[in-house]
Amino acid sequence: MHHVIIGGSIAGISAAKAIRNNNANAEITLISGENVTAYYRPMIPVLIDGQKAEVDITYPDDPIEKYRLNAVYEMATDVDVQSKDVLLSSGKRIKFDRLLIATGSVPIIPDIPGIKGQGIFTLRTMEDAIKIRDARSVAENAVVIGGGLVGIKAAEALKSTVNVTIIEKLSQILYQRLDRRGAEIISLALKNEGITILTEDSVVEIIRDGGNVKAVRLASGSTINADIVIIAIGVRPDMDIFKDSGIKISKGIQVNELLQTNIPDIYAAGDVVEFRELLTGISSVSALWSNAMEMGRIAGMNMTGADRRYPGFLTVMNATEIAGIPMIAVGIIEPEGREYEIITEDSIDSYKRFVFKGDLLVGVIFIGDIKNAGIYTNLIKNQIPMGGLKEKAIEGTMGYVNFIN
Amino acid sequence: MKQIFVRPERCMGCKSCEIGCAVQHSKDKTLYSAVLQSPAPMKRLFVEAGENIRMPIICRHCEDAPCLNACISGCLYRDEKGFVRRRKERCIGCWTCIMVCPFGVITRDREKHIAVKCDRCHKLEVPACVNACPTHALVMVDVDEMSKEKRHMVILTESKAISHQ
Repeated sequence: MHHVIIGGSIAGISAAKAIRNNNANAEITLISGENVTAYYRPMIPVLIDGQKAEVDITYPDDPIEKYRLNAVYEMATDVDVQSKDVLLSSGKRIKFDRLLIATGSVPIIPDIPGIKGQGIFTLRTMEDAIKIRDARSVAENAVVIGGGLVGIKAAEALKSTVNVTIIEKLSQILYQRLDRRGAEIISLALKNEGITILTEDSVVEIIRDGGNVKAVRLASGSTINADIVIIAIGVRPDMDIFKDSGIKISKGIQVNELLQTNIPDIYAAGDVVEFRELLTGISSVSALWSNAMEMGRIAGMNMTGADRRYPGFLTVMNATEIAGIPMIAVGIIEPEGREYEIITEDSIDSYKRFVFKGDLLVGVIFIGDIKNAGIYTNLIKNQIPMGGLKEKAIEGTMGYVNFIN
Repeated sequence: MKQIFVRPERCMGCKSCEIGCAVQHSKDKTLYSAVLQSPAPMKRLFVEAGENIRMPIICRHCEDAPCLNACISGCLYRDEKGFVRRRKERCIGCWTCIMVCPFGVITRDREKHIAVKCDRCHKLEVPACVNACPTHALVMVDVDEMSKEKRHMVILTESKAISHQ
């Protein structure tokens, strides 16, 4: 049985691991467009300011060796679902018995004048981060388009030597991850680090001088000097090559609970997948590492004959530290509807927000104090009734012991 | 293999296990120097009290460990004995492990800016917490032996119940 995986990041690797664990003899081929040793994608921002080097963010054990994979470092260009072939950019074809699509996602590039050419960066791959690292050493001013996690991480990595301005279209940064108050706290901390944040504004033109980026023009009319522009307005599933393949596509690649596409021998996992959100049931795409890892694992098991059902993902499940402040956001942050109850606890060094639906906890934000956060995540993910623990949960005195009978 | 077994009915909540743990993870590994160490050494287990229960909450070194699965830096790994441990130099303090641990036993080292968790005192025969427990609320038990003992207890109680009928 020949298992072929398109995509060499976490969904593909965790699938390869699951396939190998279930079948010691299977032939597994991993196709990756990135010709580098497998690395931890969420770590790439730390390359920019030299906090870590490339070798520090690659897997300690190379999955290619560990799981005995054939590595093909080429772009896949199409899939022939009739003959069961993956077509490669070199013109070669690879035959599969089972195929996993784990192509991930690609940055969305806004269509604005001057966006093409030198000085414009995205932050999606190790190569992207290295390019920014190189540009940083000679840059004075940077503009980051987008106030999401990627944009903020890029801004923080640049700030020690470069003047950084984040331009956010909406009225707050970290929209969907934080509520307004949470975003205010993080904004203030970023500003204290010297980063400028402009909300409710957008870049309408990249101004160039002899090809080089010189400034950006904003919708509000002003211009900001920049020699680096980083685009971080979000990602979309990387699925263009499957458009005419016969594989069903909508917001992402459509799969059933086994993570199988409409073609029985073709599975999909990770950012490229469209599936239901665990709490809302809304069909959507997720671009989270942990979700990709879980999907890859389940798809890999099912490809080797298991019958594992994927329950769905949480769109929001983020932990990070920004400007020295730890933060965690899980579940539904801004609920719509009267059945939800929102409770906030705001103190000098901590902000907490709880979203309840009856006796169920459906969302939390912890900023500053993140102790025991995993207990809350578990309650949200598994929709465990609070029983009499709601007050303790809000006070922060709830522990695992409260769940032992 | 021997596992740490917690017997809540024996726990007095004295927190000797917490102290034993912190001392073991201090620089000189003695109580006196640990007390003076600044910043104070960190414990990796937590005595908690519920309504009718007190017990130390310890890392389970889960078979399908959420922390290990979620780690984005390659810091957490499973060692040859099956314990979930850290490659400290890899941790960047992203706190993803804290977000997903359902037992709440991973904490932040604010000085070093890395996540801290139980290493099962992998160099010791008996973990420091177990060694420190005066009431044997924490014991090392062979898992197979434990179920044998439990079966034995059930048979004893059942047979007593029958003989009393």
